[in-house]
Amino acid sequence: MFKQLQINYRQALAETTSLLCVSTLLIFLVSMVVFIAFQGSQYFIPKLAYNVTIDFADGRQDVFYQSSALDSRSLKAQIDSRYLGQYLSSPQNKPEVEVRLADDVYQVMSESGRVYFGEFHALSSSDQMNLPLSELSSLLNTVALLQNNLQQVQNGKLKDLHQSIALLNSKQVADDTPARKAQMKEFERWQGHVTALEQQILQYRMQLKQANGDLISLALNDLDYLYQPNQLDTFDKLHFTFSKIGQFVSDKPKQASTAGGVFPAIFGTILMVILMAVVVAPFGIISAVYLHEYAPNNKVTGLIRIGISNMAAVPSVVYGVFGLGFFVYTLGGSLDQLFYPQSLPSPTFGTPGLLWASLTMGLLTLPVVIVSAEEGLKRVPQGLRAGSYALGATKFETIIRVVVPMASPGMLTGVILAIARAAGEVAPLILVGAVKFAPNLPVDSDFPFVHLERQFMHLGVFIYDGAFHNQTQNQSSSLMFATCMLLLIIVFSLNISAILFRHRLRHKYERA
Amino acid sequence: MLKLFEREILSVDEISQAQTGINVRDLCVHLNSKLVLNNINIRIPKNKITALIGQSGCGKTTLLNSFNRMNELNKNHQCSGEVWIQNRNIYNRKERISRLRRQIGMVFQRPNPFPMSIYENVCFGLRIQGENNRRKLDDSVERALKNAALWDEVKDRLFDSAMLLSGGQQQRLMIARALALEPEILLLDEPTSALDPLTTLYIEELINELKKQCTLVIVTHNMQQAARVSDYAAFMHRGELIEFSDSDSLFTMPAKQQTEDYITGRYG
Repeated sequence: MFKQLQINYRQALAETTSLLCVSTLLIFLVSMVVFIAFQGSQYFIPKLAYNVTIDFADGRQDVFYQSSALDSRSLKAQIDSRYLGQYLSSPQNKPEVEVRLADDVYQVMSESGRVYFGEFHALSSSDQMNLPLSELSSLLNTVALLQNNLQQVQNGKLKDLHQSIALLNSKQVADDTPARKAQMKEFERWQGHVTALEQQILQYRMQLKQANGDLISLALNDLDYLYQPNQLDTFDKLHFTFSKIGQFVSDKPKQASTAGGVFPAIFGTILMVILMAVVVAPFGIISAVYLHEYAPNNKVTGLIRIGISNMAAVPSVVYGVFGLGFFVYTLGGSLDQLFYPQSLPSPTFGTPGLLWASLTMGLLTLPVVIVSAEEGLKRVPQGLRAGSYALGATKFETIIRVVVPMASPGMLTGVILAIARAAGEVAPLILVGAVKFAPNLPVDSDFPFVHLERQFMHLGVFIYDGAFHNQTQNQSSSLMFATCMLLLIIVFSLNISAILFRHRLRHKYERA
Repeated sequence: MLKLFEREILSVDEISQAQTGINVRDLCVHLNSKLVLNNINIRIPKNKITALIGQSGCGKTTLLNSFNRMNELNKNHQCSGEVWIQNRNIYNRKERISRLRRQIGMVFQRPNPFPMSIYENVCFGLRIQGENNRRKLDDSVERALKNAALWDEVKDRLFDSAMLLSGGQQQRLMIARALALEPEILLLDEPTSALDPLTTLYIEELINELKKQCTLVIVTHNMQQAARVSDYAAFMHRGELIEFSDSDSLFTMPAKQQTEDYITGRYG
């Protein structure tokens, strides 16, 4: 009786303990995803604008507009807590904080990513002052037209003149020849035109009244969009959210990576990962085929296998250091000396860049690909090989026509896992080519179109940068979380597609 | 005993050189440093069905595999002696192994269709040879499938996956796959051991038809099957050939005591 109880008790214990572990794990996973999704979504959701008044004990008064996702009471508590520590020794001097919804306030987003708050005061054009807000769209049209003119002049006439003068320069025509003088005169005339246009554009401005009554004036050509955050209805909010998401995936970062979008990082990540896959997939698969099909089954092969498994366990930063030392300095340096001696000592390939980052990540993920490709090869039944041999196929033909197609699910899984790993890696990338802001994309319209030597942006590095260098600003941390969410989505969808792919191929090849 | 066909069976000693399909002389095979075949001498008659019987591990499959050199897939393998097929010693150094295997088809115990369509399975061997002419492939596939009595069942779905076929159909597909290369010899390694009795009967009939085209060697554990199907039978025990004669005499009045014990089920 007692023994029976003991056995039951043990069984129950084993069951509940394992259940507890799994549920704890599940709670951690889900809460991580929910936390990141919540924090990240803050970046896309319109926030309310508040008028905050702080009366200090010495009579000073601070009035400003603040945007926040919190309600007015929580915002007040937040600001109060800021002064709590400061005035801990003299609580009677603690400033009075008053928080009100600022209903009429406009939030203005500038092209450069800066955000302005203020009540609308006036618009002004080149010849009129104190225009009402209803004139905004016509003024914006005018500005756009002027901008267009400016661009035409700059890209058309001015550029042509510039080139012809450069041509004269290169032919070493003297400064005082009539032809050159005429050209210079023409050039100056157009230059003056451009300056006048720029001046004119800058005269179109908007004045906003800040909370403390000061006026700020901003040029309309810098204006991205404006809205009244406290007067949005549901449809407006949705529209705002979606346009913000669109901007997030298509725009470049602004204001030192606190605003704007992450398109260059997405682009850089994808390009790096594709390059890596192109390198690592054939290399890894061919190595696996050799190891599994051709290599003699002896101690050396075993040692090689152990070595490969251990390569997977080497810390990634070590790969980064290796990439820097070998790829960047040694390989890149010699490439520079061989092919780009004219631009030395400034390096072309001898500096961290996209190509070296891809190769380093390829090396880092090679063990993953080899191990899973070998797993795939192991799953091919011996009978199939025998069947192929019996029909007169050579070993090579058997491998190409029967073994590799059947092992393709495993191989594909390896490659996609490698891609997911490379998409999320940070430490080695910082060393071999990823930067927090790259002025140019690695692909553009200049010959040779793909610039493998350029530095690039990467989502993981972007998050790292956001986490460590912009901790204080609310807006930037939500951009960081939004990027985290994006990275999670990318890695999850890659893994899910790996599973689906494997399932499909297995269905095709292993249905017995 | 059920006899499906009229037979014209010579006794083993009367088989002439011209009527010999496979001539094995002093064949010894070591696998994994173990003697598996010990000095085998056998002349397998042409266009007849020869059954190899014996208990598990007696070397039947190894003997079968040595006819198309499949033993060499095992790296730890040694072999001495000669196997003559059509006046060629297949263990000669100059013999091209892939050419040899094209002439000698093989069907395994478990059907092992490739993960491709039925059509591609049948023309796999031809494609390996570099035959890409669509019309020739079509012809060969049709002929092979008809010979393997599978054509009527699959002619409407030639491009479906071969994995979708039933076990018996798959095994006939394996026969068709071997026949597409028009082999002189067809080796069958327990071809019906994974199939139900009715399908087995079907395949036995098929085998009987096939002896018009090629020499057949079949390994089987099923005494009834061996008696039903084969013209000649060889009994092996522990790597040695104990007795080889026409099936009628081997199954009705075996010369050796060991053979009698085995076929009557007293041991093995």
